[in-house]
Amino acid sequence: MTISASLLGAGCVVWAAAPAAHKPWAGFALFLAIAGVAAGALRLALIAVPVPEDSFLLPGPLRAWLRFLETLRQVPWEEGAVVAVLWLEVLHPSRPWHTAVLGAALTAYLLATHLAESGSRPGVLRPHTRVLAAGAVLLALGAGAGMLPAAAPGAGSALLRLVAAGALIAAAGLVLPYATRGGDQG
Amino acid sequence: MSSQATNEVAGSPGTVLELRWRSSRHARRLLTLGLAGLFIATLARRPEFAGLAAPALLLLAAGRVQRRPPRITVRTRPSSRRGFEDEVMALDVSVEGHEDGRVEWTLHPGREIAPVGPAAADGPRVRFTFTPERWGRRDLGTLDVTLRDPWRLAEGHASLNLPRIDVYPAPASQRTQVVLRRLPNRLGEHPVRVPGEGLEFSGVREYVPGDRQRSINWPASTRRGRLQVNTFAAERSQDVVLLADATSDVGEPGRSALDLALRGAGAAARAYLDARDRVGVITYQWGGASWLAPGMGRRQVYRIIDSMLSAETGGWTSGASFRRLPRAALPPGALVVVFSPLLDQKFVETLRDMRERGFAMLVVDVLNAEPPSRPLSRQRATDRTARRIWRMEQEAIRFSLRELGIPVVHWDGIESLDLPLAAHARRPLGVRR
Repeated sequence: MTISASLLGAGCVVWAAAPAAHKPWAGFALFLAIAGVAAGALRLALIAVPVPEDSFLLPGPLRAWLRFLETLRQVPWEEGAVVAVLWLEVLHPSRPWHTAVLGAALTAYLLATHLAESGSRPGVLRPHTRVLAAGAVLLALGAGAGMLPAAAPGAGSALLRLVAAGALIAAAGLVLPYATRGGDQG
Repeated sequence: MSSQATNEVAGSPGTVLELRWRSSRHARRLLTLGLAGLFIATLARRPEFAGLAAPALLLLAAGRVQRRPPRITVRTRPSSRRGFEDEVMALDVSVEGHEDGRVEWTLHPGREIAPVGPAAADGPRVRFTFTPERWGRRDLGTLDVTLRDPWRLAEGHASLNLPRIDVYPAPASQRTQVVLRRLPNRLGEHPVRVPGEGLEFSGVREYVPGDRQRSINWPASTRRGRLQVNTFAAERSQDVVLLADATSDVGEPGRSALDLALRGAGAAARAYLDARDRVGVITYQWGGASWLAPGMGRRQVYRIIDSMLSAETGGWTSGASFRRLPRAALPPGALVVVFSPLLDQKFVETLRDMRERGFAMLVVDVLNAEPPSRPLSRQRATDRTARRIWRMEQEAIRFSLRELGIPVVHWDGIESLDLPLAAHARRPLGVRR
């Protein structure tokens, strides 16, 4: 699962970065995204390395290694990578279907990271199926809303579409928990 | 790590723990994706980013309605409250009230407690195995419990202090016993020269009316023409007082003088109690001594070790001299087996005093260390001279005790105690007056 998470992370970075956007800070965002995904993959790979309880009077190289491990485990690399990838994506002109695919990939990346981190099998995500399906529908709706031609030129129509998409998400968010609970109990 | 906790743990009283719930890393990552997507959607007015945030936000919203128990009941049960050094022990743990959450355990062992196998496990019932590395009253450590909701979006944390266990020093090996020449008139297992009802053949004498027919020695009777009967040696028991010197703990931990004294005393207690002797203990410490009156039986071993580890059983007398000890603690005519590095001059004086009072004594020297020295390259002549003087002093102490009629044997803690005691276990120990 660690490999899957790493590949998904790398795929997200490539997907968001291509084609290269020649804008200010694009290089820095790409650097942050690569660093976040790489460090996250390294964290997952070293997650089983034990840390001694007593850290007194340890030799210098071992202390440095423990400090490195601690930093690797404390910093929220994946969150940084997600923000950087979204930043890369927003640097490009509007391409709704592309963003929707990126959204699906990022969600998969986070779920794979969670599975690798907790050592669980993909089966633990079975209760999430309905919610993920609803999320996929909303993702498609969002992309569709983005692809709709504006009713009238100007910022107002874009804002209107945005509000509509937000309201849809909020409504789904309010209804879905109860639907899920009913399904779990059944 | 075996996850097969026994059902017995369910019968032990539980501890109710309040859970501190907080978002998991997974939830924080989803929240980052959701909020970042919404933020960009609002700022850039691109609805596809709101759609991108939707799956993450929906997962979070669905996870919020999951029930989270505010408290759980944890039951812990060590396989035993008492154990010996290096003995593998188990701790069974179970939880109740966790509903459908996933339980994770992390054991943080206490000092001188080494886990055998992994210190983390999953499941409502688990078993941790560990081994105490050194004697004493030891805290097992703490146990961290993490409860995750089925959606893995929240984690409840709680911590539990584990019980204490008494760790006894691993007893050394001793099978033979040193036996006094004069034993009190009490039934036991040590054959003496007096004829009696024992098992050891003593001799043959002429039959007198009243002798049992089964004791007639027919071959001897045939040879001598008159009835002869076998005689047997009487069997007696003795009082043994173990004297452990706890004033000096020199040497590397695990093989220090105190470690050896306790292990040796434990081995001697077992050996003499197996021979039906009455065994007691006196633990000499700074400012006084704790004591346990001689007794018999298997339980006396544990009483003796308890008495050596903590002065809660038996009695206490202040001062370096044992003159104030009651007769029950130091019966006249008892064999006194001393385990000491002989570094405390007051203790050596006490031994001399006891010898002058007529006690039969045997000293097991448990000193296996020397004063720390500098590296060879930095040693000075004065260092070497000081070391030689120290060694000569130690030899002089032992010589003076031998001169008083107190045998001193050295024990390195590795070999069996039978080896250094062999010369004295072969024949009864006499008391020179």
